[in-house]
Amino acid sequence: MSVILPLLFLLTAISGSAVVLVRDPIRQVFAIAINGLVLTILFDALQAPDVALSELAVGSAAVPLLFLVALMAVRTQPPGAEP
Amino acid sequence: MSPRIRVALLALSGLILLPCAASVIAGLPAFGSKIALYGERINAITPEARHVANMVSAINFDLRGLDTLGEEFMLLAAITGTVVLLRGHRGEGITGRAMRRPGRAVIPRSEATVLACRIAGPLTCLFGLYVVLHATVTPGGGFQGGVILASGTLLIYLGEGYSGWRDAIHSHWLDALEGGGALLFALCGLVPMLTGAAFMQNILPLGTLRDLFSGGLMLVENLGVAMAVTGGFTQLFLEFMEETREAEEPDEPGEESA
Repeated sequence: MSVILPLLFLLTAISGSAVVLVRDPIRQVFAIAINGLVLTILFDALQAPDVALSELAVGSAAVPLLFLVALMAVRTQPPGAEP
Repeated sequence: MSPRIRVALLALSGLILLPCAASVIAGLPAFGSKIALYGERINAITPEARHVANMVSAINFDLRGLDTLGEEFMLLAAITGTVVLLRGHRGEGITGRAMRRPGRAVIPRSEATVLACRIAGPLTCLFGLYVVLHATVTPGGGFQGGVILASGTLLIYLGEGYSGWRDAIHSHWLDALEGGGALLFALCGLVPMLTGAAFMQNILPLGTLRDLFSGGLMLVENLGVAMAVTGGFTQLFLEFMEETREAEEPDEPGEESA
């Protein structure tokens, strides 16, 4: 346990920074999903399985999907055309 | 407000708030030191008093059930707001196609995707139902299970395409699920009052500890939350997905995009 927690904190920091640093919106969505997955493992390691399950369902499935669909909707508008 | 005033305001508020935050952070118990007093108290009394093995569900649905009722209506209000904001002429018909950008190739779904979705979809829904039903025994509950069930419906979209998804998902059912779930939760609060008990008092038989049907009224409230969350999240997916569809039917006929 003494190794797992610092490792998970490091992974959280890396994946969280990746969400901010990645500039392409579609890749950013996947970065958010990975960050959600890392947070899920972290919450589970900290013995909070209920929160982990919520994070897994919302953070790495529902929210990225909504973002993906929203991006898709933005890109179906031809460039320069009024919606 | 000029930029200079904004920076001054930021510096001033930082000057006031940072020492407060620092003193609070310094006063926190050390990381992983011990279970807080409230948690210890809950762990000690809840199996005795409520016959429930999952303390989180006991807090959510019984000890602090009023808070969950508030969250329930927050969710209802948020979904209603999204629907009001996004639904124009779209979302009423169920036979529409997803919009296709001119010039973008339509890549047909591979059979492997269809097969994987047809296998994983029912399994996901089964797992969601399991999480919902075992709220008082294992981690999880109405909210988590509801989101898993809503994600399961999305596998229909991935596997069967847009029109198959619209055939399976009906907006009116989702409205009924969501409103009905919130109503069920509110009734769980009000019905005990008819018997002379307090608001949301657990009047049903509590069952035995570690049994599937333990917790009494909690199971009904949990079902209400599961219904509302499943309906609400699927409605949200539906409204966002509708944004990718044109308001009018496109002129040229074509196969739906995957």
